[in-house]
Amino acid sequence: MKKNMPVPIKTEAVKEWVLDKNHLSYWLRQLRKDFELVAPLRERNDIVLKRIDRIHEIALDCPASIPSPKEFLFPQFEPMLTKGTDGISDLRDGSKRVIFGVRSCDVSAVNLLDKFYLSGIADPYYESRRKNTLFISLVCNVPDGTCFCAGLGTGPYLKTGYDIQLYDLGDRYLLQAGSKDAERLVGRHRFLMRKPSKTDHEDQYEAQASSKAMFAERISLEGARQMITDGKVADDFWQDVAERCFECGGCVYECPLCTCFSVIDRKYNAGPADEQVERSRLWDACMFKGFTGMAGGALPAEKRILRTKRWFYHKLIYYPETLGAFGCTGCGRCTITCPGKIDMASVVHRMGNEYSKG
Amino acid sequence: MEKFLTVCPYCGCGCGLYLHTEGGRITGVSPSRNHPVNTGSLCVKGWNSYEFIQHPDRLKYPMIRERGALRRATWKEALRKVAGELSRIKDSRGPDAIGVLSSAKCTNEENYLMMKFARAAIGTNNIDHCARLCHSSSVGGLSAAFGSGAMTNSITEIKDARVLFVIGSNTTEQHPMIGMHMLDAVDRGASLIVADPRKIPLAGFARIHLRHRCGTDVALLLSIMNVIVAEGLVDVEFVRRRTENFDAFSSLLEEYRPDTGERITGVKADDIKKAARLYASEKRSMFFYSMGITQHVTGVDNVKACADLVMLAGHIGLPMTGLNPLRGQNNVQGACDMGALPDYYSGYQAVKNPASRRKFEKAWRKRLPDRPGLTLMEMLHDGVRAMFVMGENPALSDPDTTHVRERLERLDFLAVQDIFLTETSEYADVVLPAASFAEKDGTFTNTERRVQLIRKAVEPPQEARPDWQIICNLSGLMGAKMHYRGTYEIMEEIALLTPHYGGTLHHRLDEGFGLQWPCPDISHTGTPYLHRKKFARGLGSFTSVGYMPPAELPDGDFPFLLTTGRISFQYHTGTMTRRTHIIEREEPVCLMEINPEDAKRLGIAERQGVRVKSRRGEITVTAAITERTPEGTVFLPFHYREAAANILTNPALDPAAKIPEFKVCAVAIEKAG
Amino acid sequence: MNANNVYTPSEALIEEVITLSRNVNLYTVKTKEEIKWLPGQFFMVSVFGFGEAPISVTSSAREPLKFCIKKVGHVTGAIHGLRAGDTIGIRGPYGNAFPLDVARGRDVVIIAGGLGIAPLRPLIHEFMENGKDYARVFLLSGSKTPADVIYSEECALWEKRGIRVTLTVDCPDDSWDVCTGLVTAHLDKVEADFQNAASYICGPEVMIEAAMKAVSARGIPEERIITTLEAHMKCGVGKCGHCYMGPKYICTDGPVFSYKELRRLAERFGKGHGPQDDPMWGY
Ligand SMILES: Cc1cc2nc3c(=O)[nH]c(=O)nc-3n(C[C@H](O)[C@H](O)[C@H](O)COP(=O)(O)OP(=O)(O)OC[C@H]3O[C@@H](n4cnc5c(N)ncnc54)[C@H](O)[C@@H]3O)c2cc1C
Ligand code: SF4
Ligand code: SF4
Ligand code: FES
Repeated sequence: MKKNMPVPIKTEAVKEWVLDKNHLSYWLRQLRKDFELVAPLRERNDIVLKRIDRIHEIALDCPASIPSPKEFLFPQFEPMLTKGTDGISDLRDGSKRVIFGVRSCDVSAVNLLDKFYLSGIADPYYESRRKNTLFISLVCNVPDGTCFCAGLGTGPYLKTGYDIQLYDLGDRYLLQAGSKDAERLVGRHRFLMRKPSKTDHEDQYEAQASSKAMFAERISLEGARQMITDGKVADDFWQDVAERCFECGGCVYECPLCTCFSVIDRKYNAGPADEQVERSRLWDACMFKGFTGMAGGALPAEKRILRTKRWFYHKLIYYPETLGAFGCTGCGRCTITCPGKIDMASVVHRMGNEYSKG
Repeated sequence: MEKFLTVCPYCGCGCGLYLHTEGGRITGVSPSRNHPVNTGSLCVKGWNSYEFIQHPDRLKYPMIRERGALRRATWKEALRKVAGELSRIKDSRGPDAIGVLSSAKCTNEENYLMMKFARAAIGTNNIDHCARLCHSSSVGGLSAAFGSGAMTNSITEIKDARVLFVIGSNTTEQHPMIGMHMLDAVDRGASLIVADPRKIPLAGFARIHLRHRCGTDVALLLSIMNVIVAEGLVDVEFVRRRTENFDAFSSLLEEYRPDTGERITGVKADDIKKAARLYASEKRSMFFYSMGITQHVTGVDNVKACADLVMLAGHIGLPMTGLNPLRGQNNVQGACDMGALPDYYSGYQAVKNPASRRKFEKAWRKRLPDRPGLTLMEMLHDGVRAMFVMGENPALSDPDTTHVRERLERLDFLAVQDIFLTETSEYADVVLPAASFAEKDGTFTNTERRVQLIRKAVEPPQEARPDWQIICNLSGLMGAKMHYRGTYEIMEEIALLTPHYGGTLHHRLDEGFGLQWPCPDISHTGTPYLHRKKFARGLGSFTSVGYMPPAELPDGDFPFLLTTGRISFQYHTGTMTRRTHIIEREEPVCLMEINPEDAKRLGIAERQGVRVKSRRGEITVTAAITERTPEGTVFLPFHYREAAANILTNPALDPAAKIPEFKVCAVAIEKAG
Repeated sequence: MNANNVYTPSEALIEEVITLSRNVNLYTVKTKEEIKWLPGQFFMVSVFGFGEAPISVTSSAREPLKFCIKKVGHVTGAIHGLRAGDTIGIRGPYGNAFPLDVARGRDVVIIAGGLGIAPLRPLIHEFMENGKDYARVFLLSGSKTPADVIYSEECALWEKRGIRVTLTVDCPDDSWDVCTGLVTAHLDKVEADFQNAASYICGPEVMIEAAMKAVSARGIPEERIITTLEAHMKCGVGKCGHCYMGPKYICTDGPVFSYKELRRLAERFGKGHGPQDDPMWGY
């Protein structure tokens, strides 16, 4: 089967169109005929990403959703297969989805997830969902106080690696297709669009500049990486961090780049003497001591510091080594969720305060 | 993918979370970012609360016991059997031969219906629930002192407090999201005082950690108050204008000088003084307590001492002050509010008060019994011949379970309504399958009195039904027709009869994240803190009494003091958490915390099996050697059926609140073979 | 069955179950399709309703597929409840294999602790079958008690085919009249040319660590000291994350590692990064 993976393409080759804002809902309604349409909604001011029934309710100027769109490619709980008397059946999800209105940082995350899940032995569940999902991202114009993508190049807009990217130019969108499939999809509704003019590009430039300017603080993951590899960061520092961990797993669950899972078998009685076993996978987290637990009860990472440190090392050191980019897009979700305030931004910040001078 | 905003089914924090569904199944959970309690966070139990809902062990159809074994039955059969048996016993032995246990896990609407069912359909006040085991002493103690027994302030206020005094509450582990706000306050410069015999995680952030001996809380608090008086830190104006009984109380205080306090509690007199000064000298001082205060034979005394301390310093009736009991179960506050208590109707309207009784008689068009009923412990230890238990598991949660099980065994009839087959249902004649929180609508009231909507996200498994529908069915069969088109109609009735809940109608709750009672009418926006300007009872009353030791202390035969509680990964009797993969993997075995010195003396090695014996029974557990627990004391969680701590605990009761002393009993420890 | 889903196990028939010790059984299984594997690789073995566990192959390429399984918990317990004629699910083989080039033309010192002999067995077969490619082969195999000794009859056969075998137990009883003590204590008996040898080590973690240090001290260069590690595993294909060791996943980057690789990981990342929280490789 052909994959619908974002292919990095050169800027000059980007196919661009302009879509009048008045036509957005018409376009989405058309897309919904072939795809399940997922988009952010405001619920009591929470931004939730879910299937959209009423297109006009989509929240267009909002910060990133909670949790990240990762759950559409790698759900928190996903049935994998069942085994009954008639053998094994595969429960892979292959629904066609358009995820509209996600942020650039989340698209960057998906690119890295692709690298992880599809390299080596590809993960079939992820692959099947990914092949059938198209992301239409919005260049970020309302960064949250917790966001720091701008310093990382994972946002607020992307040069490559998106499916379809929209720039908000006031009364219209500049629409960029980043893959052949995306181009074809947009092409189907060409009649709604026009070619961009010079003014459109000028406005695009302004949109880029102004969205970049909206970021208050830049967190330097590279600086943190260097401090760690230079051996500056003592275990005392990690111990202090670890003391504050509630072991909730939230950082891992929320992070668009955390990929770990566990597998469980559950027996269901479909009828007398007809036992169905369902094997499912669910989000797991290296923050739990049982994550690396061995048969017989040995817990190699029982000390909390080992787990806390692991999470940061994975994102700051191992990720760049194995996948070529930080395991963090600066989305700020861990900052929002961590009850102990030992999220990526806070810890890197604190590390800087403690070690960067001298 | 659909998402439904609802409320976490675990602790009293009442966190807002979304349940995600795909194809009629729950595929995940996420926190609500704008919810005032959890502000985008969840604890590990909340994050994994999706899993037990669709566990294959869920009860899917009614069952009736026949020749010793439970067999599948139809709803009609099962309901008839329950109604028939209850009616038979009611006719032959009178309604008071029946006891009803309602549930702090069920909604307000269901608790309301349950108490209506007990009182109007059966005709007994024998209704109670597990609040008896956690906060009945708060209700008793605070009613005497203030006239109302709930958390006075709001969770959102915590982060702005200047001093936090936390006693008998392992907050970061048991009320994690409240613990989060406490850490936040500390980060913003607040001083934290922790009083706890164990080195709980919160103690690591405390300015002062008072490690008093288990069960000496009254002495500790009185000696703190002694210092406040001695050093002139009393809020004189507050005491004069808003309280009474100060004189009698102040003469009691004279006996508890800091050195006396030190002798009884083991806490240095100096630390007692420091704590007193710190707490009294800041204006924005919040006081918190939980089961470490309430679960004693002196539970009510403990609570009264807390109340007196707060009044003495004038730290109540304002934002960021107050006396804040942290409630354990997701809806234990609501179950109490709804009158699932033997002596109160909803809204704490006393059964003994003829005016209240007439009000409910008129509304329900039934004659109601006028004598307060039996409490949970009394029902289980004598009293009744038949029981109807909804969503509770006394066979594991109550002290001296061996005795409780004998009693359950001897009942003429026992019906259990639950989502799983619990230890209690092993004794049931009929088992009714109920819907979980994800499969029904209704409201929960969290520890800060926030009445919140829960929303149905998926269908119940097979034939299971929402508890409220089951109660309606049964009530109808017993001659008291109940008919509601939905839970919102039940809430309308509650609002009509319950002044605190006058304005908490579902459509209003739907608009935001609920309303905090008192909310007397439909224009009222809720009450973030209580006792403003005036206490519920008028003047606050100083009610402290002197220190009394626990009912059972270590001696030659049973040289260790056992204290029990929860651990952060498991929850209560484990019916939900032990069916959650990630959580069960974290803490699969019952670990007994023991101090390294004690372990050395007994020759116990880490993770070795040990036998723990009390006068009531013995269990085998695994030793975890840790400084957390002081010398001479051991700690056990009560979640594990294979090592049920409550086989050991002492059923000695607080004389007023009838709460058992879970927190102190004497045990002997030896290596298991 | 779905061939393109790596997580779908294939059905395999248990042809024979042999009891090797009080809690270790040897399972011979037959698969529908032909499967090839290398010494050191493992399969994810599943019993539906209980789960999956990583199990090394204990048979050589010329033999039918065999697993030597110790009953320690949920899944392995369920496997022990099965009999010949029952089916299990398997998927694999996964992981890298024992490198053989390090041993070509050299003396070989194989050190096994307890069940560690299981993954080493196909390697021993390789050395017997292609004896001319290697110099002398020494096997030191230790067990906790005499009742835990497995493959003792095979050891006798191997001895006949030129392998120099030493068997030991830590805690002997009356029935045991061979030598006693920790397996590393017997290294002196191994008359290998250590400077110019290769070593393969498998067993419990403490034993691996001690053995690697001991052979290293005797002069075997770190890159020729080979071991295979264990970890909690859920997927076997580098996705679930459970088997991490620093930047590596034991299931795909291992389970076979050289002492050199492990030392380097430890030097780079200090203590505390993976399942092996011990002073040697730390992470
Ligand atoms: C590469 C490799 C090869 C192995 N080869 C063999 C072999 O040939 N023979 C043999 O008997 N055993 C072998 N093991 C160990 C075996 O996998 C574990 O004993 C088994 O997973 C325990 O599972 P359980 O469910 O029976 O135990 P439980 O105690 O019920 O489970 C413990 C938990 O640990 C997890 N776990 C996963 N992997 C391991 C592990 N390796 N060790 C401990 N716990 C683990 C389990 O999934 C479970 O969640 C091997 C392990 C690895 C990694
Ligand atoms: S580490 Fe935190 S900020 Fe970075 S991508 Fe993950 S959740 Fe977002
Ligand atoms: S979110 Fe924070 S408290 Fe929760 S596991 Fe992660 S680091 Fe620990
Ligand atoms: S077993 Fe899943 S990553 Fe190694």
